[in-house]
Amino acid sequence: MTNSKTSSTRPSKIIPNWVIFALIAVSLIGLADSSYLAAKHYLGSPINCSIFNGCEVVTTSPYSVILGVPVALFGVLYYFSFLLLTILYLDSKNEKTLEFAARFSIVGVAASIWFLFLQIFIIKALCLYCLISTTTSATLFVLGLIVLKRKNVSFFQDNLRDYFRIS
Amino acid sequence: MEEQQITKKERWELKRQEKLERQENGAKSRLIKRFLLWALVLAGTAGLIFGMVKLGGSEPDQSAILINAVSPSDWTKGNKEAKVVLVEYSDFQCPACAYYYPLLKKLSQDFGDKVSFTYRHFPLRQHINARLAAYAAEAAGKQNKFWEMHDLIFENQTKWENRGDAEKVFKEFANSLDLNADLFKNDLDSKEIKDKVENDLQSGVKSQVNSTPTIFLNGKKIEVPPNYDELQNIINEAVKNNP
Repeated sequence: MTNSKTSSTRPSKIIPNWVIFALIAVSLIGLADSSYLAAKHYLGSPINCSIFNGCEVVTTSPYSVILGVPVALFGVLYYFSFLLLTILYLDSKNEKTLEFAARFSIVGVAASIWFLFLQIFIIKALCLYCLISTTTSATLFVLGLIVLKRKNVSFFQDNLRDYFRIS
Repeated sequence: MEEQQITKKERWELKRQEKLERQENGAKSRLIKRFLLWALVLAGTAGLIFGMVKLGGSEPDQSAILINAVSPSDWTKGNKEAKVVLVEYSDFQCPACAYYYPLLKKLSQDFGDKVSFTYRHFPLRQHINARLAAYAAEAAGKQNKFWEMHDLIFENQTKWENRGDAEKVFKEFANSLDLNADLFKNDLDSKEIKDKVENDLQSGVKSQVNSTPTIFLNGKKIEVPPNYDELQNIINEAVKNNP
């Protein structure tokens, strides 16, 4: 425990810069993608099928909304919090923040698997922007695993109090 | 007076030194750095979201105009001499087109004497049976039952859209329309019909059609509202402006 505490306050080079850069870049892509989908949901033109995006059956299906909120908006929140967590790490250099983000990324992967299942087996149509989001959340998960591996901690071991301590 | 100036200068000098000291210990600059980092991130994110919202919410390009005017080889119903001409590029397997189908049908019933309605094929690549459906409608057209087949195909879209043997379903439709089965089968495979569908598609590409349904009202692409009342208003307006 004491070991991890000291390591979390020292701005070590355990987590390479490219991982941080990739986390920021992928979060930004996911954020852009889901904002686009959310905007389309609220303001977009009426339904059609397009050469580039396929049909909008996916984004207009009943599964695109949970409790009245379009799932794209959850995506916006998810990627935005991921971005904030990464920046918080850059600011505080508290690696526990990154560990939290790494564990948090399972939420995105789980949601993506569920959406992919819906698209393939229930709606029977794919949507390009949804697939981009699947890719970004999977990438964030992999980056998270890299972070945990570098820190040499397991996925489930955690101590909530350490997460948001700013050194 | 002189003394005061000196003290002023001294005081200024003192302040400068203090500032330098503070900069040396770095606390302030670190704070500024942190502030800049967060400001940059928040501004960047806000900008990004704003941009995507504009992009996602923007109306599709409405500047497209119809290049190929309606010709006798087109399938046209309503008043062919009408001053208000509606041309639809559509895909039989497109769910959105099936959604609009009853709206447009009602439109042609309500405005049949004032408006001409033309259907052109725009089968999208992602729809495996879209071309075959277009061929089936054309083959029925050879026996003067294009619109009847067009209606059947749309009304029963879910029955054939994902089937590997959609041809069988179309043959059943032909049968229910009392079409000559052999003729229908031959026409389904004919090059003439395939060329016609391809021509429609190419004319759509020329007119910048990139989604279905795309509707041109008197040669200008319009955004199709998803409810009948708004659609009716657009046509009413056009009828009023083209007496």
